[in-house]
Amino acid sequence: MNIRDFSRVMDEMLQAFLLFWIPVSMVPLGLWYSLTSSPLRGRFLAFTGIVLICLSPWTVPSSPSSAAGHLLGAVIGPCMLIVLGIYLISFSGNVPVGKLPRSDRKIGFLMTTVGFAWLAGMHWWILTPQIVQNEVNAYWYVFWPTFLLLTSCLASCSAVTLLMIGERRKAESNIMFLVSAFSFTLLLLGLNVDGPLVTSGDFRQHLWLAVADMSGIAVGSALSILVFALVIYTYERNLPGPESITPPTDSELKQVSTLIATHLGGEEE
Amino acid sequence: MKESNLVLTWRMMLLAFFLPPLLILAFEVTFFGEFKGLDSGVSFTRFANATLTAFTLCSLFLLGNLFFYGESRNRPLAPLVGMIMATGLGVLATVFFIGQGPMLLEYNGSVRAQAIYNIVHMFVSSGAILLSLCVALGVTFSAITSQKQRSSFELEDE
Repeated sequence: MNIRDFSRVMDEMLQAFLLFWIPVSMVPLGLWYSLTSSPLRGRFLAFTGIVLICLSPWTVPSSPSSAAGHLLGAVIGPCMLIVLGIYLISFSGNVPVGKLPRSDRKIGFLMTTVGFAWLAGMHWWILTPQIVQNEVNAYWYVFWPTFLLLTSCLASCSAVTLLMIGERRKAESNIMFLVSAFSFTLLLLGLNVDGPLVTSGDFRQHLWLAVADMSGIAVGSALSILVFALVIYTYERNLPGPESITPPTDSELKQVSTLIATHLGGEEE
Repeated sequence: MKESNLVLTWRMMLLAFFLPPLLILAFEVTFFGEFKGLDSGVSFTRFANATLTAFTLCSLFLLGNLFFYGESRNRPLAPLVGMIMATGLGVLATVFFIGQGPMLLEYNGSVRAQAIYNIVHMFVSSGAILLSLCVALGVTFSAITSQKQRSSFELEDE
């Protein structure tokens, strides 16, 4: 099928709806379907959705939203490497179930390092996601500062939590402080060292926007949860009280006391 | 844990969470004497758009959860209607505030374009948030599992 010819025939809005928004909705639908009824079909639906979103810069080049699909295609590799690497490191350690071979630890560490290096290469090397030559994908400016800042915050919080709540968790806490410091160093580098396409000024501007964005998401989500709790609370409060039942009869009480008596005490070994 | 210790723990955890952005602010003020690159107007626009979009999308997600809640309550309509109204309010507020003019418009010419941009922007931000959660929780877990296994007797002796 010639995608270009097809795109010229169809209305741009309809094209974006069919080739971007329907694939976007296929992902949560597939995940929901895989959890409720058919895991295989649900996963296939979600996977097809992700592939179609990644293809959207070619299938719907006229839609600005397809830049998000382009970014997904660009970062899905390093993100999968990081997540799978952490999984391998975690489950090759001292876990009671699902333990992986010890050698997986090295592979996991290598995968995570390559994933982070790949993402860093998108800022300071030639790997920057570009839709057209020398024009950075605008959503990269959203993704990268948000990821770095939140990782640093969460790792720092986790380190202090391990220290204050955990018992003898100093070594683990130090590892988390290192992760936080690593993310923070990348943030500082981004604020001061230009990449081939991403300047420190652009990064600085988008870092503050990422802070505003995360604050907005936190406030909006909290408000929505508050409304949800209020709706449930109001409904439950207006429900009529449970109907009273008649007290137990003498025979019922006798049966209960017999049952309790047989289950109390016990023979000594 | 004593109540005063618990309060202190929560405070320390909160402070640790906000430490990286506070340190960046401190560096900026120390070296440049100002918050370089910070445009309060643009940041407010992003904050407001993110709040409205997060409220609407989160309400929509919770509306979906109400179906599961309804299964144990003979499918009541009242909470469903309540959440539909909350979601509708989010959509109306978004359209109304974006329609007020340049206040909430970010490089977009129309309400529809801005609303669609907000949703796509939220997907990208959520992806970054999800990845950083995976990294932070995953590394915490792997740091714990990488240590020597503790026996229950050791803990009992302490």
